[in-house]
Amino acid sequence: MHELSMAQAIVDTVLDAAKKNNAEEIVEVTIEIGMLTMLNPEQLTFLLDVLAEGTLLENAKIIIEDVPVEINCRNCQYTGLANTDDSDHYLAIVLCPQCGGRDVETLTGKECAVKKIKIEKSDEDA
Amino acid sequence: MHKIAEVEVQHDIMVANRKLARKNQRLFDKNHVFSVDVVGAIGSGKTSLIEALIDAMNYKIGVIAGDVISKYDAGRFENHDVPVVGLNTGKECHLDAHLVEHALHDLPLDEIDILFIENVGNLICPVDFDLGSHMRMVVISVTEGDDTVEKHPLIFQDADLVVINKVDLADAVGADSDKMVNDVKEINPDVQVIKTSLKTGTGFDEVTLAIDGFINDY
Ligand SMILES: Nc1nc2c(ncn2[C@@H]2O[C@H](COP(=O)(O)OP(=O)(O)OP(=O)(O)O)[C@@H](O)[C@H]2O)c(=O)[nH]1
Ligand SMILES: [Mg+2]
Repeated sequence: MHELSMAQAIVDTVLDAAKKNNAEEIVEVTIEIGMLTMLNPEQLTFLLDVLAEGTLLENAKIIIEDVPVEINCRNCQYTGLANTDDSDHYLAIVLCPQCGGRDVETLTGKECAVKKIKIEKSDEDA
Repeated sequence: MHKIAEVEVQHDIMVANRKLARKNQRLFDKNHVFSVDVVGAIGSGKTSLIEALIDAMNYKIGVIAGDVISKYDAGRFENHDVPVVGLNTGKECHLDAHLVEHALHDLPLDEIDILFIENVGNLICPVDFDLGSHMRMVVISVTEGDDTVEKHPLIFQDADLVVINKVDLADAVGADSDKMVNDVKEINPDVQVIKTSLKTGTGFDEVTLAIDGFINDY
């Protein structure tokens, strides 16, 4: 369970970016979570809500985008989206959809990123 | 007047960890330290295996003992007269590159050939956090049940060496250790999997040889 430390890092990142841009309020936050990370999006959202209390983030809408797994197969050189064994992403084992091989390099799917934020600010600092 | 503005942030928290991990690795390389990340289930024999390796291998060894409360394992390593730093992770379920970076300040790196980093016993969380080590050894044991590998595939995908320990207890707990080996091979076809018992000594020499092999390739 490291959702809490991740959520804290996300909140810190967002508040830092908001401050740098003179935000008065944060309206929306878009977060990308790779399907291969061990993070549970529901738990993460819950913790973000808790940590946001009393900050500029308090009323923001949190959007979590899943990042699909893209692979490069060392066996048949296929590059692109992976098959995942299971719809439950914790158990997703990466397989090459072309040759079925498991000797694959993962290109995407391990992200935990703050992609963008939408902020409200007064016109004067524009 | 107020207006809404969109700000591209593009800050990946995992990337921040990976950057620190690479920094750790540069520090290892500068000091000619070969670093081994030891991860695995709770109580699978990580500390026992590292203790045996300290006694058996002809290298100067150092240890970072990461645990929720690290003093127990750190104390065991200290009895082998090697430099040890204990890292308390508190409520956290894994080590990260930042914690390891701190520990590295307290180790005499120029006097160490091999650094073992024992992670918190956990097959899930350490997957997300690269520490900067040159190889990752996963230690599980038959007593966790022979479906452990199937249930936790991701930790085996990036493993460089897999040890299935406590085979002396396999019959007692009704676990099929060959199934565990095959499950690992399904996930990571090229990885070497060694069955060991640290109680009887079975397979232990193979582990030292395998680590030696990685050091020679380094
Ligand atoms: N029967 C048997 N017992 C073993 C073997 N290896 C380790 N043990 C015992 O298993 C227990 C746990 O071993 P540790 O080395 O502390 O395991 P660990 O993985 O470091 O444990 P944590 O750090 O707490 O996750 C100890 O009582 C060991 O003596 C083995 O091969 N066979
Ligand atoms: Mg231990």
